[in-house]
Amino acid sequence: MNKFMVWRALARGVILEAIRRKDLWVVAILGFIIVCSAGALGFFGMSGLESFAKDLATTVLGGFSTILAIVTTGRLLPEETRNRTLYPLVARPISRFDLLFGKLLGGIAVSWLSFLMLCLMTGAALAMFGVRFELIMLQYVLLKMLGLVVVCSVTLMLSTVMTPSAAITMSFVILFGSAMLSRGLLMAYSTASPSVAPFFQIVNASLPQVSLFDIGGRAANANWGLVPLWVVATLAIYMACYSAAMLAISWAKFRRQAL
Amino acid sequence: MTPAIEIRDLHVAYRRKDGQAVEAVRGLNLQIHPGEVVGFLGPNGAGKSSTLKALMGFVQPKSGECLVFGEPSWTESSRRRIGYLPEVAMYYPHLTPLETLTLYGELQGLRGASLRREATELLRLVGLTASLKTLNRQLSKGMLQRVGIAQSLLGNPDLLILDEVTSGLDPLGRQELRTIIQDKQEQGTTVFFSSHELAEVEMLCDRIIVIHQGQLVEERLVSRLKDGLRKFTLTYRGDLIGVRALTDATNGVTTASFDSKEGLVAALNQASNDNVEIIDVVTQEGSLADYFIETIREAA
Repeated sequence: MNKFMVWRALARGVILEAIRRKDLWVVAILGFIIVCSAGALGFFGMSGLESFAKDLATTVLGGFSTILAIVTTGRLLPEETRNRTLYPLVARPISRFDLLFGKLLGGIAVSWLSFLMLCLMTGAALAMFGVRFELIMLQYVLLKMLGLVVVCSVTLMLSTVMTPSAAITMSFVILFGSAMLSRGLLMAYSTASPSVAPFFQIVNASLPQVSLFDIGGRAANANWGLVPLWVVATLAIYMACYSAAMLAISWAKFRRQAL
Repeated sequence: MTPAIEIRDLHVAYRRKDGQAVEAVRGLNLQIHPGEVVGFLGPNGAGKSSTLKALMGFVQPKSGECLVFGEPSWTESSRRRIGYLPEVAMYYPHLTPLETLTLYGELQGLRGASLRREATELLRLVGLTASLKTLNRQLSKGMLQRVGIAQSLLGNPDLLILDEVTSGLDPLGRQELRTIIQDKQEQGTTVFFSSHELAEVEMLCDRIIVIHQGQLVEERLVSRLKDGLRKFTLTYRGDLIGVRALTDATNGVTTASFDSKEGLVAALNQASNDNVEIIDVVTQEGSLADYFIETIREAA
């Protein structure tokens, strides 16, 4: 059987459920808040505040889209188990890996859809006040989308090993605090004895470095120029490897889990 | 012939929340042949759902094996031949029955217009034509059960495994379900279902399997079981010499009860020879419910 068709069917189910459940209304409300905030900035005059407005917009976009990705993906599997909709799915001639992967794709698609909707609304709000857009804004969107894949895969993995609420809380802590945690670990590494230092390195490497995908600050300053393509490619490889590792852990836990 | 289902020395254990291990199925062996309709009976907690879950690969057995048409039941190729109805019918609340069946059909390997045709036809078969585009969350429990039955029939499976199949169905729904199962049986589909509705079991099944506390207690052909449960009563005036039956005589009228037809026939022949006046002959069909309760009591 064509695996791609299976994954597509599962992902489409997730998207359709998200749309009908009116999850995307949350996005519309958030977008409205962004537009209103931009309107307030416009009211007080935007001249000289372009960089600030863009910086604020990318920070808000980044924050909201990460929250939506965590909440959407974190409840995919637990809801299936709690609502017992999982049984007719796993009774089909598909592997549990297919199920996980299809669900993950659905979660990513919903997160991307939400993010792009927010981007459109934010972009429209900024454009109304004459903010200019550079090519780096597209790079920001692309890299943020790659970062959301990491967010979704980490959250899915956590949802297979802990309760739904714990998984969502843990995802928030890890994904929002990863930059801070990394800084702390690097400081600890630089002051630790040689025998302990590798431990901090390993812990740091195992954390999802989602802050690397956020170039909002750079995008807000047009003078800084585009991110080199090799950096984008490296981040794409990192995203693929890290997400694959998360999916492998999820599968190792889920493949023999009693339902 | 390769059995449709073969369960060999199956042990299924769970760990309760307090950490204690509970063995839900203890060394179960059974075989179901292609084309049979078999009822799987047992009181609550007997291990029926655990057996079906192990058979479907939802839980990992502690030991033993489950084969479907000679292959391990958890493989994709086995599951391609199975239609499964879970015990509790819950389907995506924000999808319509048609979308639900389309989703499951695509996972079954069905595609395009033929899938849409089959899904629509199955929903018509279970009486949901008017609700094709109603969201599942707006459907009643019985209607959701019908969605469940329809999804289990997708892809025309060789084996139907139905857990508590009549749950939530009204009498009309049960009648329609009986027709569907009988049609499937005529097409050669094997049906294995658990139910607490013994009247349905009696009407539909070729054979019943009874389990209690995770172990096989009884395995009988329904036709033989019905013969065994049938009782005959002969009421006559006079003396019948040599009649072996339970008798109760009052005012010269004797009522004799026979467990077998042969006993009754012998008594009637004797009565004819002895010129005994026959007042009444009654055949009483035994109840599967009584038999079930008795079997479980004996097993306990």
